[in-house]
Amino acid sequence: MSMMKRLDELMPGQGGRIASISSCGNLRRRMMEMGLVIGSELKVIRLAPTGDPVEVLLRGYSLALRKNEAKQVILEVDAA
Amino acid sequence: MIRAALIGNPNVGKTEIFNRLTGLSQKVGNFPGVTVEKKAGRLVHQGREIEVVDLPGTYSLTAHSVDELVARDYIVLERPEVIVDIVDGTNLERNLYLTLLLLEMDANLVVALNRWDMVKARGMEIDIEKLSELLGCPVVPTVAITGDGLEDLKDSIVDAAGQKRAKGQDAALNYGCDIERLISKVEDLIRKSPALVEKYPQRWLAIKMLEGDEMAMEQTRACLSSSQLAEILSIIEAVEAAIK
Repeated sequence: MSMMKRLDELMPGQGGRIASISSCGNLRRRMMEMGLVIGSELKVIRLAPTGDPVEVLLRGYSLALRKNEAKQVILEVDAA
Repeated sequence: MIRAALIGNPNVGKTEIFNRLTGLSQKVGNFPGVTVEKKAGRLVHQGREIEVVDLPGTYSLTAHSVDELVARDYIVLERPEVIVDIVDGTNLERNLYLTLLLLEMDANLVVALNRWDMVKARGMEIDIEKLSELLGCPVVPTVAITGDGLEDLKDSIVDAAGQKRAKGQDAALNYGCDIERLISKVEDLIRKSPALVEKYPQRWLAIKMLEGDEMAMEQTRACLSSSQLAEILSIIEAVEAAIK
């Protein structure tokens, strides 16, 4: 069973597969250029104390996202 | 003299390679009009003088940041004979995005596959010949911090300068028949303007216009008639409808 979650709802160690990105325009483009593409797998490495920014691991590198940006990434998460 | 430009993602060892290539002969200045540092240096290899320019490290070549715009304008407008794309071999998937953008610009490309020692240390395997065949350009493994592979890289720069990249190899990126059909429509319109044909790689410009790239639209406006512009705008709408 899998469920949909927003990236900002995950805790460190949790991850999933990108199902959709709700941002549009230049931000969407930039996020895709940085490797956030539908179907790619990512995992949350750690959060800053306020939960913003979020550091994620994808394709073998880490990427930091603002919470606002993380909110726009919808993941398919395996319910373990 | 051969003009070669170095480009690559940030932190791939680009500047180290630049320093190794040019030694103490470099000069620091600015790209005209913007405060992005321009470093240029010279070297002589196989009796040929090579001027090397170190472009800003970027992940992409959009018109949204000064660094990216400087790199892109330099490649498109100055047309250096050779572009050396420095790629982090331990992170190929991420780095090849820029490589594909460069191929799309019709750049005469040489790929330096840097951090080759790390690739091996991590037990990764990269089929260099296959990569070179798929990209349609030479791929040279390098280790910037020790200088390994740099003589091969210099050889490749001199070789590449002597030959134009074979056309038709840019099939590297095919956007699917819906989009490709619209790209060639815009290309047809671009071909009607000799000023644009002279100045820009046509396919690249067509793609940028379809993306609604601000600089591309602004710089081409003067070269197109209002009916041609209107036609391009309607094609852009068709693209947006196609990818919704």
